[in-house]
Amino acid sequence: MTTTSLDTRTPLRRPSRWRMLGWQLLGLVLLLALWWFVTDVLRLYPPYVFPSPRAVWTEISYGLWGSGPQDGKLLAGIGNSLRRVLVGYASAVVLGGVVGLLMGAWRPLRDTLGAYLTGIQSVPSIAFVPFAILFFGLNERAVLFVVILEGFIPVALAVSGALMNVPPALRIAGRTLGARGLDLTTGVLLPSAVPSILTGLRTAWSFAWRALVGAELLVSASASLGAQLEIGRNTANIALVIATILTIGVIGGVFDALLRVLETRVRRDYGLEVQQ
Amino acid sequence: MTPRPTLLALTLALLTPTAAAQGATSVRLGFFPNLTHAPALVGLERGTFQKALGKVKLEPKEFVSGTTLTEAFAAGQIDIAYVGPGPAINAAARGMPLQIIAGASEAGAVLIARKDSGIKTYKDLAGKRVAVPSLGNTQDISLRHILKEQGLKAQTDGGNVTVTPVAPADVLAAFAANRVDATLVPEPWGAALEARGHLLVGSEKTVWRGGAYPTTIVIVNTKFAQANPALVAAFLKAHGEAVAFLTGKPAAAAASVNKELEALTGQKLDLRVLQRAMNRTRFTTNLDPAALGEYAALNVEAGYARGTVDLAPFLNPGLKR
Repeated sequence: MTTTSLDTRTPLRRPSRWRMLGWQLLGLVLLLALWWFVTDVLRLYPPYVFPSPRAVWTEISYGLWGSGPQDGKLLAGIGNSLRRVLVGYASAVVLGGVVGLLMGAWRPLRDTLGAYLTGIQSVPSIAFVPFAILFFGLNERAVLFVVILEGFIPVALAVSGALMNVPPALRIAGRTLGARGLDLTTGVLLPSAVPSILTGLRTAWSFAWRALVGAELLVSASASLGAQLEIGRNTANIALVIATILTIGVIGGVFDALLRVLETRVRRDYGLEVQQ
Repeated sequence: MTPRPTLLALTLALLTPTAAAQGATSVRLGFFPNLTHAPALVGLERGTFQKALGKVKLEPKEFVSGTTLTEAFAAGQIDIAYVGPGPAINAAARGMPLQIIAGASEAGAVLIARKDSGIKTYKDLAGKRVAVPSLGNTQDISLRHILKEQGLKAQTDGGNVTVTPVAPADVLAAFAANRVDATLVPEPWGAALEARGHLLVGSEKTVWRGGAYPTTIVIVNTKFAQANPALVAAFLKAHGEAVAFLTGKPAAAAASVNKELEALTGQKLDLRVLQRAMNRTRFTTNLDPAALGEYAALNVEAGYARGTVDLAPFLNPGLKR
């Protein structure tokens, strides 16, 4: 095929997408089979070191829709963790957007603050937790602080970077047409920077999600995915630990996929995704 | 994408924890630097264990919570351990190869409130932040039972009491920084907090069963015990001597405990504080199966297990074979 197609709804793309999904499903089944074979058939490990898929499934089912007095904790944890990450992520996007705009608009700020932010970004989020606990206490604010800190940096860097990488031609064209200062930024530069910013938003999501679980692990006062990990660890319940890890992975993956769909759509609209 | 079988086998072999070796050349002993683990502390400080083990080397390993100790036990890195009944029951419930072979201490856990927290009785814990050594440990299980008796609930169970894990040695700092309002801690941390003007809300007797509950017990890796019965017997004899020293010569024992605590934590306690802590702790080698069974029930009540585990196969006092 040499013609380019900008339309997703052409039937040409469908088969490959379904085929990919098929391969992914097959991989999952094979992985589960290998897991089952190692634990239930070969019994290579004692169950308190590496539990069978069935034991993990028991934890997931009790945790999500069990009806006993102590059941449903995983569901409660998901609820709390999602609420926290969404609040934290939204705050991070707003804060990162403002800081990024300022850095994009004013070079000295980009050269100073930008360098510091890159430095802070290289510090694992969990390193900020002790400081956050001292500052805010053993509570939700400490968790949110770490999530926002981790989330806003990739947004700020993406926004300022995207503004910097706008093709000079666009800038010149905008100026020629009379746009100046803020008008130029919001009317010309920002719209053309949207695809890069979206990539930053996706990075920020994964940073925020990881920071959340890390912080919850240390500030495990109320129901959360981090607390589930800690309780599983403390009660020698490795099946609960694995169940929680799977939950964290699935939620992180689903949100990343949603953002990826958005990103792909926008890139296509901008003519950046061209099929060969 | 088929993995080479030899490589797979090799990887799995490397990852599999090794069983306790036959005819061990060392005994790896796990314990915490708490007064409730005092038999371990005096046994180490006075060389009682090493003398009993003869040529076999004693390797003491210090832990801050039952969690890390249980993990080390599961990984086959601990042979004998002093541990709370909470982690021991959870480990037994998951099928870890352990035998409960002796008691070490009873009671010895108190509920202390920060002086300006306004907490005077258990009822006042509503809406407060209470520290326990770690989630799922013996004091956490006791605390959740106290809350239940008061008609209160932890935040994780839909109530308004925040139960939060803080290592006992860090509770003083947590009180100073207003991070927690109260704590259910093992001694000597309770007496140490009291010496700083904080308030005793629940004594060791009001925590549970009038104080007749195990706080620390001795467990041994089943495979290790089977391979080294003489070593375990020698250790148990030394453990008995340490307990007898603690009950028979409390003043000398307090000095010994203090010396070992200082060596381990860098903190030396006022002897009167230590004495007060010792008065609230009872040292014994006896095991009360009924109390342990009730603990298993409280563990379920606290939400850390779905059913009570039958402890009979794990109870082996004095390791009668």
